[in-house]
Amino acid sequence: MTPKLQLKDHEAEQRLFIRRLSIAGVLILLLFTALIGKLADLQIANYEYFSARSDDNRLHSQYVPPMRGLLFDRNGEILAGNQPIFNLTVVSEQVENLNGTLQFLGSLVRLTAEDIDQFRNRMQRNRVPFTSVPLRYALSDEEKSRVAVNSHLLPGIAIEPQFVRSYPFNELTAHSVGYVSEINREELERMNDGQRENYGGTNHIGKSGIEFIYEELLHGTVGYETVEKNNLGQVMRRLDRTDPIAGHNLTLHMDSRLQIAAERALGDVRGAVVAIEPSTGGILAMVSKPGFDPNLFVTGITSKDYSMLVNDVVNTPLYNRSISPYAPGSTVKPFIGLAGLELNYVDYEYSINDPGYFRLPNVSYRFGDWTLRTAIGGGHGQTNLQKAIYQSCDTFFYELGNRMGIDDMHGFLSRFGLGENLAMDINFARTGVLPSIDWKRENVGEPWYPGNTLHASIGQGYMLATPMQMATATAILANEGRVVQPRMLKAVDNIPAEPVAENPVDNLVLSDHDYWHFIHESMTMVVHRPTSNVFRDYGGAYLTTAALDPEMPYKMAGKTGTAQVVAIDQSIRSSDDIQVSELNKDHAWFISFAPAINDYIEPKIALAVFVENGESGSGVAAPIAKEIIDTYLLDILQIDFGQSQQNLHLISQTSE
Amino acid sequence: MNNPDFVRQTSGTLADSTTRHPLWWQIHADLPLVAGLVALCIFGLFVLFSASDGDQSIVTRQAMIMLVGMMTMLVVGQLNVQFLRRHASSIYLAGLGMLGLVLIIGVEENGARSWIDLPGLPSFQPSEMMKFIVPLLLASYLSRRQLPPRFLQLLIAALLILVPVALVVLQNDTGTAIMVFMSGVFALLLAGIRWGIVLSGLFTLLLASPAWYFFLAQEHQKNRILTFFDPYRDPTGAGYNIIQSQIAIGSGGVHGKGYGNGAQSHLDFIPESNTDFILAVLAEELGLLGVLFLIGLYLFVLARGFFIAYIVKDMFSRLLAGSITLTFFLYVFVNMAMVSGLLPVIGLPLPLISRSGTSILTLFIGFGLLMSLQRHGRSPSS
Repeated sequence: MTPKLQLKDHEAEQRLFIRRLSIAGVLILLLFTALIGKLADLQIANYEYFSARSDDNRLHSQYVPPMRGLLFDRNGEILAGNQPIFNLTVVSEQVENLNGTLQFLGSLVRLTAEDIDQFRNRMQRNRVPFTSVPLRYALSDEEKSRVAVNSHLLPGIAIEPQFVRSYPFNELTAHSVGYVSEINREELERMNDGQRENYGGTNHIGKSGIEFIYEELLHGTVGYETVEKNNLGQVMRRLDRTDPIAGHNLTLHMDSRLQIAAERALGDVRGAVVAIEPSTGGILAMVSKPGFDPNLFVTGITSKDYSMLVNDVVNTPLYNRSISPYAPGSTVKPFIGLAGLELNYVDYEYSINDPGYFRLPNVSYRFGDWTLRTAIGGGHGQTNLQKAIYQSCDTFFYELGNRMGIDDMHGFLSRFGLGENLAMDINFARTGVLPSIDWKRENVGEPWYPGNTLHASIGQGYMLATPMQMATATAILANEGRVVQPRMLKAVDNIPAEPVAENPVDNLVLSDHDYWHFIHESMTMVVHRPTSNVFRDYGGAYLTTAALDPEMPYKMAGKTGTAQVVAIDQSIRSSDDIQVSELNKDHAWFISFAPAINDYIEPKIALAVFVENGESGSGVAAPIAKEIIDTYLLDILQIDFGQSQQNLHLISQTSE
Repeated sequence: MNNPDFVRQTSGTLADSTTRHPLWWQIHADLPLVAGLVALCIFGLFVLFSASDGDQSIVTRQAMIMLVGMMTMLVVGQLNVQFLRRHASSIYLAGLGMLGLVLIIGVEENGARSWIDLPGLPSFQPSEMMKFIVPLLLASYLSRRQLPPRFLQLLIAALLILVPVALVVLQNDTGTAIMVFMSGVFALLLAGIRWGIVLSGLFTLLLASPAWYFFLAQEHQKNRILTFFDPYRDPTGAGYNIIQSQIAIGSGGVHGKGYGNGAQSHLDFIPESNTDFILAVLAEELGLLGVLFLIGLYLFVLARGFFIAYIVKDMFSRLLAGSITLTFFLYVFVNMAMVSGLLPVIGLPLPLISRSGTSILTLFIGFGLLMSLQRHGRSPSS
């Protein structure tokens, strides 16, 4: 069978072909109809949906972080500012070979293994695609130009400006102003939705000090901006913008010059100074040494730096000594003496004959006089309240305290803010301990023994107070009972601010106002009453203060304190014998206000100086206090005591 | 002008033609077809200009390729059908030879090893030509025998189709392989292959597809199938193209966002926006109306192809003209259906709209063949 021989029916074949062609034509039309149906489904039925999806693709609302409010001292000196830095950032989606790029970058800029580690952490944390992640903060100008020159070899790598917190005084304000640092997970979780929204564009948050307490005022309100982004996440256009509202600028009572002076006066010790303006309660200076550089924390402290700060168990630079409790020692004596007067346990004349120790009735144990413990035998002799204050006679206060009892002592001393935190905007300050019978039962689980009262009478035993509490108590003393609550904030955006006291304290009104003058006088004697260098006069500070400055133009009231170190950390004790003996030394205190006993000028400054293991209140702490007060009254306020007494006399005459 | 007598008189070589006939007639150009193609090309360049973000060099290059394509089409239009018919086997064997050559010295591009890049010549894809060579041979083979074809003829025809298809599959170019296969199938369908065979063929395919899926399909092919059924199983990976493409089309609505305002394409959300996915750009910017206009242009060209297949006088011309037209339709439909999510993604351009090189040239060669058939195929010469 050869097909070629078969007869071909051309007509039939053509009909068959045309039939098939027609079927194909119909199929084509059907298929196009289906296609148009599908397009209509996308473009008409689901238009709204896809239109929204398209906008979601391209339109991005992004946060515009507000500028953090500035912090000024009382003279307008910047304590915390915002400095532009230039960061090296990476959009990993645009980097072809991340490891190779990082290696190359390492040859251009300083890039430690830790930088890379932290960068990888950040990458995992903010995995919003196409966002830039900082690799290195704060490039130097030279590094910036090296990266810029090679930018064509570095797709996805950019240099982005950012404003970060800077503390121009470095260590000086670390404990008072505090610092900001990257927001951590716990802080984010603590926020409510509104707050979290407000921090959408913010990387940093106040961690301590003023930065922490006034975070809400300083932060400001986040702004928004709608941008059109392409598929690579690059911003093509800005469509809409709501400007952020910058945080409030805060002015503090702090005087940076006094802060510097206090730091310099403290020198190289572990210790603290708190200086308060008695008229307002404003904190003029607040120093805790050793400090640390708060700037280290802003852009992420390296673990090496951090472990150096944390592992220094002796110096504990992160520990704010100015608001930490220590036994106040003899610095409480003026307050207890005042209690004795007010509560009629003593009068100006009452005196005892001090044998150098005190014995409770029917008990053979002798409570020794700490100020005399290095001397052999003997006491202060016939001693009244004034002498007991300026010579810091323990025996007198043992006897007074024993008669007064802990209840009266507790009640009176609490009027000076001991045992509580009077500060209005230092809410993390410790409260110390003003012991009472109840306190001991609750916290020690034992009944109160008479010996406890004796220890409390000389600021030892259970009694603990922070340098800030002692400065506050001294300010109230200087104010003759007008209670001022310590505060940092002076003004918000140059408008004077009055922080609202949560639990205002009543002023202390004595039955006889002259008691104040008596105590002031007694404290002035601590500084100004000439003494000889013998053990009996150990409690006075004359030899280390006024004696060295015969032309001292003003009177200064003060009280020394040399507090026994009650507890020493066991690990330190075993680690290093030299350190142990060093850490065993007494803490040195000095509280003071000035000018004192001045008819024309109110006290301008009240302060507490604390030197850890400083050994001697009179020998170590008192000269520090004098130096600080000199600087404040003579250099900063430039009070001319000779002249001003005249002038103020005239002024007070004309105004009254 | 459709008067067969008139046609008979004027058929012949260019030298015979008298000056009374217009130029397009003398050069065997089919005016409506040329007009349709020119309209498609201009519209294509217009869409491409926006899709390429106003890149003049891309548009200029595309325009040059189109001009070269037009001229190639006119040259091919001069070929005598009888020459093609007589030498169908030789052309087919030459095509197979080229495919074999590709397997040896072929150059890989976009994952398919289908290009020949000889020094001094522009690189080209021999597999593209097989879409016309296979129907050419089948038309030649089947038209000499009684239609509808018998079983033995079908077996031979199947072999003639499957050998080049297999070679193209070996090049890892599934899209073109399907097109070559379908171009042969179209010839068989038009030749009147019995429906029973067609249905059993479809049934076999249906039964075989799971086996293919589980044993033969490569990972990326499986992915495409899965993505077709659920683009959101991997929205940023395999499903990204189709999701973004649908967003572009859907957000265009009826009227579109306006020429040059397609956010999806201009912000680089649509990958391949000036090649395979150019329809998404058109649909986003010019809306459903723009797509309907394009479908209208295609329908016009298809209708002219059908007309040519209808008027030619011998079965060879009919089969070839019909197959070429249906292959062209398949191209258009598969691309549009894939971009809109009606079919799985197969890498095929949108004819005359997508930026491309060889596909435009081969399309014009196909249309050149149509014109040649139109002029030469009317009088039975033997």
